[in-house]
Amino acid sequence: MQLTGLMHGARLLRYVDFPVTEVLGPGASEDEIQDLLARHGTIFVKPIFKGGVGRKGKAGLVGQARDLKTALAEKERLYFAEHRHGTTLAKANGVTFEGAVPAEHEVYFSITDDTRYRAPTVTITHKGGVEIEELNKGELATIPFEALTGLKAFVVANALSDLGAPREIISPLVQHLPKLWDLFHHYGMTTLELNPIRLRPQPGGRLLPVACDFKAGFDRDDPRMARLGLPAHLFAGDVSEFEHEVNQLRTYQGQSDVFVINPNGTILAPTFGGGANSLVTEVLGEAAIISSDFGGNPPYEKMKDVARICYRHFLPQTNVLFIIGGKANNTDIHETFRAMGDALREFFAERGPTPLHVVVGRGGPNLIRGFGTLAETCDALGLPYRFFGFDSAISEVVAYARKVDAWMTAGGRDVVARHMGIRPNLETSA
Amino acid sequence: MYRQGIEGVNYYLGIRSLEQVASRSDRVCVLNILGNESRTVTPTSHAFSGGNVVFGTAPGRGSQVLETPIGDIPVYNNVREGLNAGHTFNTGVVYLPPAGVRDGVAELVRVNPALEKIIIITEKVAVHDAREIRAMAQANGVDVIGGNCLGVADAWNRVRLGGALGGDHPEESLLKGSVAIFSNSGGFTTTIAQYLATEGWGTTTLISSGKDIYIHYAARDFAHALRTDDRTKAAVLYVEPGGYYEHGVDFGKPTVACVVGRWKSRLTRAVGHAGAMAGSGDRAEDKERWFREAFGVDGLFTPETPHASKTGAVVVNIADIPAALTAVMALNGAAPDFAPAGSLALKPWMANTQGIPIPEDIDLPVVPARDPYDGQIQALRQQIGAVIARQGMKDASGASVMDPKTQVTSVHGHAVLDLALEPLEATFALPLVHEIACENDRALLDVAVAAEVNLVGEPMLIAADAAREAGNAPNAIMAAAVCLVGPKRVERALACSRALIDLFAQSGLRDGRDEGFDLSGLTMDESTRALFLATPEEAEQPRPRAMLQAVRDRGGHSVFLRFLETLGGPPSRDAILAAIATTIAWGPLMRKRISRLTAETLPWYLRLYGVMVGASIEGRHHQRGSLHGIPRQERFSEWTVADLCYLAITGKRPEGDDARPLQLLIGLLISNGPGAISAQGAKGAVSADGPQTPGRVQINKGMAGFLTHTGYSHGGNGFEGMAFLLEQFRGKGLDDPTDPNHGFDLKAMATAFAEAYQAEKRQAKEVGQETRALPGVHHPVFRGNPVNYDPRERFIARFMDERGEYNIFHAFYRELVQALYEVGASPYVFCVNVDAVIAALLLALLWKDYRSGALTERDLETAAFNVFLYGRMIGAAAEIDDHLNRGRNMDTRSPASACRFVA
Repeated sequence: MQLTGLMHGARLLRYVDFPVTEVLGPGASEDEIQDLLARHGTIFVKPIFKGGVGRKGKAGLVGQARDLKTALAEKERLYFAEHRHGTTLAKANGVTFEGAVPAEHEVYFSITDDTRYRAPTVTITHKGGVEIEELNKGELATIPFEALTGLKAFVVANALSDLGAPREIISPLVQHLPKLWDLFHHYGMTTLELNPIRLRPQPGGRLLPVACDFKAGFDRDDPRMARLGLPAHLFAGDVSEFEHEVNQLRTYQGQSDVFVINPNGTILAPTFGGGANSLVTEVLGEAAIISSDFGGNPPYEKMKDVARICYRHFLPQTNVLFIIGGKANNTDIHETFRAMGDALREFFAERGPTPLHVVVGRGGPNLIRGFGTLAETCDALGLPYRFFGFDSAISEVVAYARKVDAWMTAGGRDVVARHMGIRPNLETSA
Repeated sequence: MYRQGIEGVNYYLGIRSLEQVASRSDRVCVLNILGNESRTVTPTSHAFSGGNVVFGTAPGRGSQVLETPIGDIPVYNNVREGLNAGHTFNTGVVYLPPAGVRDGVAELVRVNPALEKIIIITEKVAVHDAREIRAMAQANGVDVIGGNCLGVADAWNRVRLGGALGGDHPEESLLKGSVAIFSNSGGFTTTIAQYLATEGWGTTTLISSGKDIYIHYAARDFAHALRTDDRTKAAVLYVEPGGYYEHGVDFGKPTVACVVGRWKSRLTRAVGHAGAMAGSGDRAEDKERWFREAFGVDGLFTPETPHASKTGAVVVNIADIPAALTAVMALNGAAPDFAPAGSLALKPWMANTQGIPIPEDIDLPVVPARDPYDGQIQALRQQIGAVIARQGMKDASGASVMDPKTQVTSVHGHAVLDLALEPLEATFALPLVHEIACENDRALLDVAVAAEVNLVGEPMLIAADAAREAGNAPNAIMAAAVCLVGPKRVERALACSRALIDLFAQSGLRDGRDEGFDLSGLTMDESTRALFLATPEEAEQPRPRAMLQAVRDRGGHSVFLRFLETLGGPPSRDAILAAIATTIAWGPLMRKRISRLTAETLPWYLRLYGVMVGASIEGRHHQRGSLHGIPRQERFSEWTVADLCYLAITGKRPEGDDARPLQLLIGLLISNGPGAISAQGAKGAVSADGPQTPGRVQINKGMAGFLTHTGYSHGGNGFEGMAFLLEQFRGKGLDDPTDPNHGFDLKAMATAFAEAYQAEKRQAKEVGQETRALPGVHHPVFRGNPVNYDPRERFIARFMDERGEYNIFHAFYRELVQALYEVGASPYVFCVNVDAVIAALLLALLWKDYRSGALTERDLETAAFNVFLYGRMIGAAAEIDDHLNRGRNMDTRSPASACRFVA
């Protein structure tokens, strides 16, 4: 769950009194934009994306304006801008107008948990304003610090001294940067990155660090982020309707982690266990509709609800219903299989039959009772099935499911459909 | 700030050797010991480890105990109370909800100075809390394992701490050997141990590390303990992307690293393992490279490319771990710990293709499961047939459903439109075996039904004729006969079915047609033999002999009939009926498509089918040895059920394809779903008998329930369409309704009618009356488009077109809907509905006899009603059987609150 840009970032920074440049949202009137121009001379027009979108500047997605006409033209250009970032395509919805901050110095600053130190860690450089991957290691300071005491001024001071940062920027940064620890640690963040922080000369010659961009990652398992009162739709771009429905059932016991890999996939694989999830996601590839982890011994009702949602969204397109996990240590196989089977019966009763091949790979408590119950369901619904115990390599079972999917795609689905008496749609009008 | 543990390590690390990870001397306190997960896991851990849990905590539930197989574990409100009670422990296990984990760790650290280890099982601990837990533990000199892990175990020490490694039976997976396992996945920790056994490798210490962003006991820590553990000769690591935990680690002993998660880079959000999201430079590919460089291997180890060195190997498939380890250890001159146990090959334990032809390479044969699972599967198999859960079945059906969009009803997954194209005998079997019968079974069914149709000398015929003479409609005539086919009349046939199922249930027979099946293993007592054989009085009856002869004449196969013929005497008619029924039912029964109850009662339905068709033929046509003049053996050996229905309707022997329209009609009429009045009658009759005591349910009464819930409005109204067509064609000299060169100007006829109808409508409007509805035209569902179709009508029309068949009445209807629109009598082109097709087909079938005077209009009405009843009796059988299997006693009643009093 990521939040980028100053549209909301500015408000968050103000919670901890960290200076931030002046920002207007997409609803700003022409008078307001004109006033902003009057105060700052130059303004930046930036598209608003949901979630984490990087390298906007390089993609030509940051507009600059010195007059209203240009500002409005940039607004029009960027309002619905599209940005491909890695494999994902993001679409903007709105722009911000941000006052330019005249400065000689630009600083990069971030806090995150670094697995090399297993501690919160700051990364800082006085050569900010660029992608930090472009800098030499010697130009960056990466310093872990004590979580119980937090980010202290001396950590910042030491880091800047080690880097040989200009003397005039050290004191303002030492004064302001520790405030960001409060924002990072007490509001459920996993990363906080400000790049650039521009050091604006104040009357009297002293410099003031001003945040000119904002990026934060949040821990979806940390209720502290609710304190920020961020509207849920900011993160809605991260989740599909299906994921949202399943997330409603999410509890601390897990049992409902899902991610839609390929909405046009043909294998629906309720997966049990984080390891199985990694393996199954890997071996199924594009054929998988979802990546999931329903492990953690879900009770019957919850498992049935999750299965019901999965079926409603994806069963009509599914060739192989593939229930897969290792040898469960704690999850009751009978309860989970009974729930998934009952949800399947209900789906068939309400929506009619759909051609499916069921493949299962599983082990754990009450295994054979679970197999027996699911077999009864498949028999009743006329579905072909093959259940593997835990003594078949899980990776081989996954590969087997792919083989069945390939056969279903190459005509097997029609064969199963015919056998189940499923007929094509009938005409009702001309 | 950290307390110094092991010298030379620049953070706190207390565990010096893997032996110390889970030792016999560890004493454990479990936080939230009475929580759901702990309650099931802790007793097993405690018992397996020789009783190492000294106490647990559950705020507000102090003084309770947790029962275990080796004694109770005391529960206190908090850790301090437990310590004050004199307990001591060095290991804390945390089962608290995530919001409480950090505080639980603080409690353990602050209250117990003797604390050495904490194992956090809880999933979804906030990163914020993990940060602070790490700092607390480092400052106070405590090793933490987890969170989101399944704990640790030691096969040498027979100890399991924390989570559920090895599940209910840790001894199955924790086999003593020389390999340590460190795994980001709890499930795979056990799975890898089990896989290693297939190459003969046992384990020392197993660590489920969890895969949160903070891995408190990480690969580097494990490597240290590994290097100093004399028991351990090698290690297996299972790692996922995300984090630098494995970067630059020197394991010091041969190691197989399994890196899984290349695909994870496509995910933008963690699923399952919160820490398995790569950032910069810690993708799965990066980790593979770290290990490859550390082990000095050029590529990944696979069976085809076995890259391995003395130092280690990298795999990306956990199934390759055992072979990779064996290869690495061979280079070190080390042999496995014990003889290989089992294999990882694909082994389906249970399968059913449902008779669908599936390619050989995926139709893998079922193999016996390992003990004790095979025994459990065998016990399951003792249970033959489907087991169906009971529930209230008012207005519900597990047999039929009408698609509200197309109005097409399906019975056991087969649309009535498709059934209309199937031979009628196949359709007769469907409600009871839930599958379309194959050619062999259809032939057997033809014999079984044919043998029941001639009712000469039977009280059912007397009842039917009496009902006919009393002026009853066809449904009441059939009902009179059906009421006499009560339980006693089928007692023996059903007993024979039961006995046959008992005899063959565990014999391994899969196909009732398999006459080559070895019968030598079957044993039975004398009373069972007597049940099957004809009594001396029955021995000379011609009907059983004719049935057996007919089966032979038709080339039918039945292992059950063959079995009867080995009994040393002529089988009874009931036994033959039961054998035929069991042959038809056997495959679906073995495939668990139907219940044993359905299979056992099948002869009753077959007898009822025959009696119902027979009752629709006047008594004078039933003669000894012949029906309507058709000799017994000819009917048994050659006739289909459709032929018999044709005979009943027309009184004539069908020639060529004569019976086909009838088959189409009956198929279309099978069911309109559980909401139809006829279905409600059948279901109500079953419900009233009490399906929860199925032996008391009178199936014949169920049929009577259906019959009494049909009538001139529901069933008899089929004649309305015919009457309308007669109105249009009467006296116009139509000779052959199936001849497209009939010479009639249908468009002109339709336009003339439409204009007259339009005038009638106008007139009715003026006087404020309702216009009469035209039978066969328009439908409340298929409406509103410029041109509308009833898909059922289209289906039949297409079928007839494809066969080059013509029906003038149907063609007239098509002209009529167009003409009604053109003259303004309809706002758009109405559909020709399915009732019109039924009327058109039936009238064409009977037209010649009507024209010749052999049939009166009253006969046409009777015929239309009977055709409806033939079709609907099949649907009723489906509902009766379904309700019998699924329903509850009196479940069709309406609560008083749902009923109205009308003044």
